[in-house]
Amino acid sequence: MAEELTLENLKALAERRGLRLPEDELQRLLTGVIRARRQAAELREMVAREDEPAAAFDAIRHEQNRRL
Amino acid sequence: MNDKELHYLAIAEAAAGLRRKEFSPVELTETCLRRIHSLDDKLHSFITLTADLGLQQAKQAEQELNSGKDRGPLHGIPIALKDLYATKGIRTTCHSAVLENWLPDHDATTVTKLQDAGTILLGKLGMHEFAFGGPSVDAPFPAVRNPWNTAHIPGGSSSGSGAALAAGFCYGALGSDTGGSIRTPSSHCGIVGIKPTYGRVSRAGVIPLSWSLDHAGPMARSVEDCAIMLQALAGYDAQDNASANVAVPNFQTGMKDGIKGLRVGVPRQNWFDENLGIDPTTEAVFNQALKVLENLGARIVDIDGKPFSLARKANQTILVCEAYTYHEKTLQETPLKFGSSVRRRILEGAFLSAADYLTAQRARAVLNEQIRANFAQVDVFAVPGAARPPEAFEGMDPNEQNMRPSFTNPFNLTGLPAISLPGGFTEGNLPAGLQIVARAFEEATCFRVAYAYEQATEWHKRRPDL
Repeated sequence: MAEELTLENLKALAERRGLRLPEDELQRLLTGVIRARRQAAELREMVAREDEPAAAFDAIRHEQNRRL
Repeated sequence: MNDKELHYLAIAEAAAGLRRKEFSPVELTETCLRRIHSLDDKLHSFITLTADLGLQQAKQAEQELNSGKDRGPLHGIPIALKDLYATKGIRTTCHSAVLENWLPDHDATTVTKLQDAGTILLGKLGMHEFAFGGPSVDAPFPAVRNPWNTAHIPGGSSSGSGAALAAGFCYGALGSDTGGSIRTPSSHCGIVGIKPTYGRVSRAGVIPLSWSLDHAGPMARSVEDCAIMLQALAGYDAQDNASANVAVPNFQTGMKDGIKGLRVGVPRQNWFDENLGIDPTTEAVFNQALKVLENLGARIVDIDGKPFSLARKANQTILVCEAYTYHEKTLQETPLKFGSSVRRRILEGAFLSAADYLTAQRARAVLNEQIRANFAQVDVFAVPGAARPPEAFEGMDPNEQNMRPSFTNPFNLTGLPAISLPGGFTEGNLPAGLQIVARAFEEATCFRVAYAYEQATEWHKRRPDL
């Protein structure tokens, strides 16, 4: 399970990402971020070590498109 | 024919009337413009009206048709575009202050295709800002309202497309769908919209929300009209990395063949009762719709809804990560240019990790297999178009949608074609959609089932009292 965020954590993370957000905005954002992180953590239960991501680079397609 | 008879014609009917010279493209266009001028103050469905361009295109279509140059069933038909389709020299705002005065120097591939088919552009339609969040209450343009009851939302994000069609302002429209944005407003406004298979319709020139989930597609007032529009839109486009190089069938072939013996999978168990569950009146409409399908000869088969339920988590994780990536620079430099609703939703993606994103893409592969495996025992899935009737603006809880099952997300995650059509009405005379989902690249099956249902019911003939 992902670590539960506090407002202070969120503020530090936002600064590190170059986001200048007022405190009240961060406060309103906190609930949604906690939900999003919890949801992302739950997805880890669903995949096995050998499962690959759905999105894959397609060299043939890129070559074909380059030629068109 | 008077205005009242003209503005609610189906595209197929209007096309036939144009060729019989019962009316002209200019008359159709003027009818739509009169109606927009007299009623859109209530709905705010248009952001930009292109009346002069539309009339010019209508005159050209009239000359061409009179001289025997016939571009097909969309020739001379007035349409409108969700305001995230790039239109050369025409303001394209995404309903946002960020792009309030942007004049693209190119047309989206789909816009070019509709021009080549001879359509007439009436204007650009309101939406949820950048196709995300909720109704835009602090954007430079007012939020779109539902023609069935203007105190209620029309659904989003293709809100203007749904409202304009239900109000009889245009004959067809383009929407886009990343988590349900064509199908939800179709359901809430009592019209028809199809999210085609991922890769079927080019996304080139459509402002992205989430590259791997975005779908472009048509919305109209009948199933046949959606098939006509999709015919003009579908096809490989080298400008779109996700475009599928597959043959485009005639989407109307077999549309009227009926559904006798068709196996309809209903993933009710482990999904419909998720959190707050489906609204009971919406479920009653859906159950009645299943009976209609049964009476038409289909067989209803219960299937496990668990993978469909889990799809929302992967869909939302991918969506916010990709959306944040696209908007990162603007959010760092001028965050307050975004409306509060969309800003908060997109910013969620700033606080997820690369591992979160890739895990969601791995879960997508797993869920895709599990959901598609059902096609071994059924031909299509049937689910409601939305989990509840359109909410009233007043007192709306933006978080409620996360507390009910999302009947649209799984088909963005899997890329399967899904159509929403009028399924019935709930209390308060608000529309409820029926959604039919088929195997990849089998949009024709969606049209066949939807057409059979449409012809067996009267819901698509109801009009809002404006």
